[in-house]
Amino acid sequence: MNARRLRAIFRRVVSEFRRDHRSIALLFVAPILMTGLIAFIVREGQALSVTVVLVDGSSPIGPVVSGGLRSALEAEDITVVAAADEPAARAAITDGDADVGIVLPDDLGQPGAAITAITNGMDPIGEATQLGIVSAILVETATAALDAPLPSVEHVTAYGVPTDDPIAPYAPAIVGFLAYFFVYILTGISFLRERTGGTLERLMATPVTRGEIVTGYTLGFTLFAGLQVALLMIWSLGTIRVPSIGPVPEFAIGLGVATAGNPAIAFLVVLLLAVGAVSLGIFLSTFARTELQVVQFIPLVIVPQFLLSGILFPISGLPEVLQPLVGLMPVSYAVDGLRQVFIAGADLTSAALQLDLVVLAAIAVFFGLIASLTIRRDVA
Amino acid sequence: MVPQPIAEVEREAAARPAIRAVDLVKVFGPIRAVDDVTFDLAPGRIYGLLGPNGSGKTTLIRLLTGLARPTSGHAEVLGVRMPSRANLARIGYMTQSDGIYPALTVGENASFYAAAYGVTGEAPVLDALTLVDLADRTDSVTATLSGGQRRRLSLACALTHRPPVLFLDEPTVGVDPQLRVQFWGHFRTLADGGATIVVSSHVMDEADRCDELLFVRSGRVIARGTGRELRDRAGSDDLEQAFLAFADENGVAR
Repeated sequence: MNARRLRAIFRRVVSEFRRDHRSIALLFVAPILMTGLIAFIVREGQALSVTVVLVDGSSPIGPVVSGGLRSALEAEDITVVAAADEPAARAAITDGDADVGIVLPDDLGQPGAAITAITNGMDPIGEATQLGIVSAILVETATAALDAPLPSVEHVTAYGVPTDDPIAPYAPAIVGFLAYFFVYILTGISFLRERTGGTLERLMATPVTRGEIVTGYTLGFTLFAGLQVALLMIWSLGTIRVPSIGPVPEFAIGLGVATAGNPAIAFLVVLLLAVGAVSLGIFLSTFARTELQVVQFIPLVIVPQFLLSGILFPISGLPEVLQPLVGLMPVSYAVDGLRQVFIAGADLTSAALQLDLVVLAAIAVFFGLIASLTIRRDVA
Repeated sequence: MVPQPIAEVEREAAARPAIRAVDLVKVFGPIRAVDDVTFDLAPGRIYGLLGPNGSGKTTLIRLLTGLARPTSGHAEVLGVRMPSRANLARIGYMTQSDGIYPALTVGENASFYAAAYGVTGEAPVLDALTLVDLADRTDSVTATLSGGQRRRLSLACALTHRPPVLFLDEPTVGVDPQLRVQFWGHFRTLADGGATIVVSSHVMDEADRCDELLFVRSGRVIARGTGRELRDRAGSDDLEQAFLAFADENGVAR
């Protein structure tokens, strides 16, 4: 190692980087913003508001347990409403009037009696928290009131089937998010090359229109996004058993995540999201001069979507000031749509799913329009 | 309207300039990149835009092709006011950078631009590649070509639609002397076929291959004529000296 040469290389790296103000800003500002946002979400996240719907059942001690439970819950600022039977409790949950249903069995107090706890099923992570709060109080009051072995609590969901597969709550969201992320990177970088390589300038000197460029790009990248999503779906939903061959034991390929709905509809949701990512990539490439700068948009554009779309943190538990932002995140509509399909088994007649699809399509069209406006003949 | 005799129509068409610049001005902030340029260029001739780097040649070409909007004044190509998307189908533009896709093959690059210009069929693509001597490299990936071959492909991509008007922005930069001679041969062939060609260059020794020269300095056309005329007027045997003489005379040697 020659000290002089080493110093020259070191100085070159520093000088070059020092002049790239954007990279410097991002190097220092982005991590601060990101850690700040995560800390804010975790610390200031609202304690999930819980409304419980109670069904007393016909056992003689039902009203006693129910009364004790009600006052214990209300002492914790939890709203309690009553329902006549389990179907009524389910209806309250699917209508969004209640979060957790507690149905006391008709044979409460007898051996083998089981209390049924109902949640919606659409937001597995948030519901687990809500159910946890209620269960703790339920155990306390039931033990005190019954003075007997605690009846078992059976968890059911209004939509889907509660699963103890730990990846199930995350799988739909992650499929959507990853597709979005990769399509953005690919389009952003390849369109940046079009701008910096002089081919866009040349293309603008042909009768090709800006709309044709954006639409053509969208079709091209949507093809690959489609293949990627299809592969991702097969991988996460499927299980291909490979029989044992010789000393190799039998094994399975694929994550085998359960889905209640049609994977083809889930595919459609992700594809629409990916189309939006293509336009976003084209749009943001306007503001980048190097591939590094396309990557630098990730903390600003992709990470907030990861944090604010209900992938890790339930949307209902986000701090109140961040709530309005959720509606601006394209990924949040895909996550909801995918949960509708994977968990609730929604098909195209579902109003909630229709809304997600329409919003995703509108976002794709909107970004497509502003992307084509950025391809101006003047500054191309 | 009484129909005109064919011969008369043709004569008028020949007399009509292929390219017109009318009081063209382009201002970028404090800089007047193109400063009140007016000229008519006749069809079927090769015009050289000569001037140092940064004199406004590229901006002038971008105004003429409609890629940039003038601050004031206007440009016409083949009688159509620019910018006009439809008219772009009659214009070939070879940019200063190669503007070709490295991952595509030679044939794919040429076919892509042909399609962008609305050309159908294989023949025009093959013709253009034959002209630049790349017909046998159709299946080669562009990234594997030498710099000179890429420059030739770049030229071919501007020719597939057989444009009657061609703008070539520094086409011979980075091209070796032998290939440069070939390039000028191509340009002459195209002009003999009726094409109007505008070639920008900062290399004075290429100038004599043009039918007419326009000296560009600080965004203005400071002199125009054949190489011989310009030398005579400046009283110099050297075109470079002539250029400097005109620059002084115009008081633009800023």
